Formats: sequence, structure tokens, C-alpha cells
Amino acid sequence: MVNRHRRALCASALLLAFSGIAQASPDKPVIGVVVKVGGIPWFNAMETGIKKKGAELGVRAFMVGPTSADPALQVRAVEDLIAQKVDVIGVVPNDAEVLEPVLERARAAGIKVITHESPKQKNADYDFELASSKGFGEAYGKRLVEALGGKGEYAVFVGSLTVPLHNAWADAANAYVKANAPGMTLVGDRYGVAENVDQSRSTALDLMRAHPDLKGFLAFGSQGPIGAARAVAEKRMGGKVIVMGPFSPGQGRKLVHDGVLTGGYMWNPALAGEVFVTLGTMVAKGEPIKDGTTIPGLGTVHPEGHNLIVDELVDLNKDTVDDLAKLGL
Amino acid sequence: MPRFGIGGTERWLILVILAMGAGLGLLTPSFLTLSNLFDLLNASAVNIIFGVGLLVVLVAGGIDISFAVAASVVQYLTAMAVARLGGGNWAVGLLLAGTFGTLLGCVNAFFIHRFRIVSIVVTIATYNLFFGLLMFWSGGVSIYDLPDWWTTRVVILGTETAGGHAELTLTVLVMAACVAATWLLLRRMSTGRQLYALGDNPEGARRVGVDVGAMHTLAYGWLGLMAGIAGLMQAHYAQEVVPNALYGRELDVLAAVVLGGARLGGGRGTILGVFLGIILVAITQNGLNLLGISPYAFKMIIGAIILAAITLSSEGAGRLIGSWRTPAMRRAA
Repeated sequence: MVNRHRRALCASALLLAFSGIAQASPDKPVIGVVVKVGGIPWFNAMETGIKKKGAELGVRAFMVGPTSADPALQVRAVEDLIAQKVDVIGVVPNDAEVLEPVLERARAAGIKVITHESPKQKNADYDFELASSKGFGEAYGKRLVEALGGKGEYAVFVGSLTVPLHNAWADAANAYVKANAPGMTLVGDRYGVAENVDQSRSTALDLMRAHPDLKGFLAFGSQGPIGAARAVAEKRMGGKVIVMGPFSPGQGRKLVHDGVLTGGYMWNPALAGEVFVTLGTMVAKGEPIKDGTTIPGLGTVHPEGHNLIVDELVDLNKDTVDDLAKLGL
Repeated sequence: MPRFGIGGTERWLILVILAMGAGLGLLTPSFLTLSNLFDLLNASAVNIIFGVGLLVVLVAGGIDISFAVAASVVQYLTAMAVARLGGGNWAVGLLLAGTFGTLLGCVNAFFIHRFRIVSIVVTIATYNLFFGLLMFWSGGVSIYDLPDWWTTRVVILGTETAGGHAELTLTVLVMAACVAATWLLLRRMSTGRQLYALGDNPEGARRVGVDVGAMHTLAYGWLGLMAGIAGLMQAHYAQEVVPNALYGRELDVLAAVVLGGARLGGGRGTILGVFLGIILVAITQNGLNLLGISPYAFKMIIGAIILAAITLSSEGAGRLIGSWRTPAMRRAA
């Protein structure tokens, strides 16, 4: 009896172990995408895109979402994908530098590496962006200057102090503000809280208190605008303190209609998921990507080094947020 | 450890907190304002509810790292249940969350007592099990459409001050109730004394007739109950249920509770200590923001302050500083 159970257990354990190993072939490449953190709407939408495109192209494409936005967990997830012998690894890095050695190992094993939201990533075959960091940051800077009328204090949140893209946006937005609105000042440095709604909320509360003249929050990171907007609502400062940043429409819809979250620009994470699969399939099949190549989802690209950068911005405001939310974002 | 009055650890924590408070009060115009102090309480309330629950388990000689994840599971179960019940209200919500939480706590107690497994091993397993089940079953999807009673802010005490709107919310009231109930359990009931006895000397406690199984069930069940309520309150102010919102919270709470003087080996720890430990960490974070210190230095400073507070409150530092405590006090401690 006991033996039979034990055998059944062993068998199921073996089954589990093997089912994880994907069968790769050049025509049907296997694509694994490691994102910053699983279980949040942004990456749920990306997963939808990955699965949809995978089914369309007939390739096996899946997403791996670490339980927290921890670079070490991403390294482990990439190691797992190397062991599974996938053809293409996609990554949305939490920390570009921490991933360098493991991506080097992946490429040494003959695996193609594609990154997203991480221009200048070392050890990647391609990095694609749906928004140029300069264009995106400047768009926000411009809108913030307009909303504040060119004067007042503002604060900047990023996902983490080591997320390269968020910091590049913040740099571009700050540079725009500095050049075009000398009456505006940045308070503090930038705060690395925007992947956590509780921390964004309490930091926003603290900052509003420390700087009574604070007029705006610019939050880059999926939970930052939500947390800051909740803080503004709590302090009854809707309309007096502006909150801008990219967020998931479904999550922020109510706040936008309540007038505490102004909006901003975003790109569609589902589209990013699709591009991971489309581009991954092209790269795995060895199709060349040159100046003028058209890639579905990205349009016509003009590679700079290994960066494929386009501006596919979606406007987020009172009028568009409901439609975007309906897409499941 | 004195039964009543304030212990050495707590005294040092109060001193550290007062010193920090005075310093921040002098350096920033906004620290010592009603609205800031209220916000500190509002922001710490959920952690304090977790903390007093965890204290009961630590006192009884166990440890639990699954409670924060259990609270996330409770949030989901409660959200689904009230949706099925057609809305519900606070009473139903509290009852459901408390029940689900207690049941999850009892799962831990069952394995720890029935199979005599070390508590950290069991709770590491259930931590993964609870979170894995939650992710598998929710598909990582958040719930934004919570009933209105759950997400509408309830202000217990609100006032307009020069420093902005100041208010205490329902979360603080619930925290006060949880603290009071835990205080009654640990300090005013014989079961509380049995919990301390069990943690201090398990074999001795068993021989004098303490029902070890019942005590385990009580301790882990109590933490489960508190975790369930804390989960309900976190979803209340976050206004949404996100599967990994509480993931990792267990270590913050554990560190703060141990900072407050609870011993990991059991038999020692006070509610005041839990409160002070959590408030100290919250003040540090708050103070760094108010002072406008570069966020690049945050982690470093928080770590240093925890280390300083723990060193000061340890027995060794007390001896080193020597005369501050009289020999009579030292004997009593």
C-alpha cells in the first residue's frame, strides 16, 4: 500500500519534471518571457498578448511572473528557462545590470535574448520599445508644465531607483521642465516606490505634508499613480495636486473620474506581449532585421545598435480610460 | 520580565522614539502636526494588527511566516463570498474574514501539533502552499469591483488643521479593538499565562497540565483571526484586492515585533513592545521623507536605526551603560 503510493508519487513527480521541458524546433520556436512581477494587471495584459500571438503563429510562448519585483528572482527564472532549452528568452528587467551575467550564459547556450523597457541592455540580441524614453518623458514633462501653468513644486516617483527606463523618463521629463518652465522646482530626489501601491500612497502623503506648495506628482511605475492619487483623495486635494503617470486603466478608472488622477500616456502592454512573440519568432528563424524592416506591432523599424524604438503612445484621460479598461487593462 | 509595568526594552524604545520625535519636530515643521501623527497611525494600523497576532504565536514559542499570505487568501475568499451573498456589510465581512483567517491558522496548528513538526518548517510550507494556491486559482487577477461598504472610507475622527486635513480612520478603531482583545487574552486570562509558560518551558508547561494542543490551536488560530481582519482592512484602504499586495509583509512585521522585544524562542514579548517596534520603523520612513533625505540612502538609514535600537535595548548595552539601571531594577528584570 505504502509502496504503491510512493511509486505513484515518484511517477507524478517525474511527470511534473518533464512536462516543464519544452520541445523546441527551428520552425516552432519556444519563447519564454520573464516579466518584472506577476499578478499585476499590466503584466496580465502582456500575458494575454503573448498567448494570443503564440496561438496565431503556432509557437509555444509563455510568460513567467516572479512573485515580487526582485532582480534575483528574475535571474532564477532566466536560469530555469536556460535549463528548459527554450529558443528565445524575453525579459522585462527589474535591474539591467544584475541580469547581464545570466543573459550572457543564455546567449552562450545559443538562446536569443530580447528585452523590453531596457534600452542599452547588455547581452541582448534586441531590445524593443513602444515609446522612446526621451519622447515619452518629454510628453509627460510637457503635459505637466501645461497642467501646472509653468510654476510650482512637483515630485517624481520611479518603480525602483535601478529601473533604467523609469529613470530615463524621469530624466527626460525633468530636463523638459527645466528648459521650458523655470518657475517649476523638483522636490527631493526621485522616490523608488512606484511598484508598490501602499508605499506610493504613504510617500505621497509624507511629501504633501513636507511641501505644502507641492502641486504635482509624476509617477513612473504601474502602481505609483494609483497610490499617489489615493493620497490626494484622502487629503481632499483633488484638482489642487495633479497626479500623472502611466497606469492600468481598469485600476485607475474610478480615480480618473473622481478627478484625482489626471492621466498621461501609456503604451499597450498586450501589444508589447505580441511583439515579444512576433520578434522572437523572426529572430529564432534567423530572419534579418534591417533599417526599414516592417515588424507587425512595431511598424517600420530603424534599428539603432540593437535597439528597436518606435513611438506608439496611447493617450490616457477621462475620455479614453473606459475604452482601454474594457480591453482588460 | 516584570509582569506589569514597562520592561527594559520598551523603555529604551520609548527613549529612542522620543529622541527621534524631538529631533524631527525641531528639524521639520510638519512632523509634530496632528495630521502627520494621525497618518502615522493610519499607515501602521494594519501592521500592528498583524503584529499583535504574531506576538501571541511568538510568546507561545512558535513562529509563523505564512500569515501575510494567508491574509491575501482571506481577501480573495471574502471578496468572492460577499459577491455571492449579494453585497454584505461590515459585520458580514468581519465575520467571514475572521472565520477564513482562523481556519487557515488552524491548518498551521494542526500540522505543528499533530505531527510535531517545527513551526518554521510548517509555515514555510503553508506560506508557499497558500500563495501558490492563490496565484493558481486567481490567475493573478486583481479584484477592483469591491462592494461600496468595503471601499468607502470611514472617518472616525476628522478635523481641518493648519497642516491640512487630519483624520483617523476605521482601520485605527479596528486596530484598537484587536490590541485590546489580545491584551485581554495575554494579560487578563489564565490562558495567556499558559501561553507564556508554554513558550518559556514547553516540557514544564506540559507536566503541570497545560493542554499543548489547545494552546497551539489558540495561538495560530488567533494569529489567523488577526491576519484575516488585517487583510480586510488592507483591502479597505487600498480599495482593491491584489494577490501579491501583502507578499513580503511578514518579514517587515516579524522584524518590528522582534525589535519590540519579543523573543524568537518564546515566553517573552509585550503588546506595548509590538506597538513601539512598528511605530519606530514607521517614524523612520516618515521622517526620511519629511527631511527630504535622498531616497538612495533610505534602506541604509532604516537598517542602521533598527540595529541601533536593538543594540541599545539588549541586555549587553544595559550593562555597558551600567548605572542607568539600578542593581535592584536589574534583579527584578
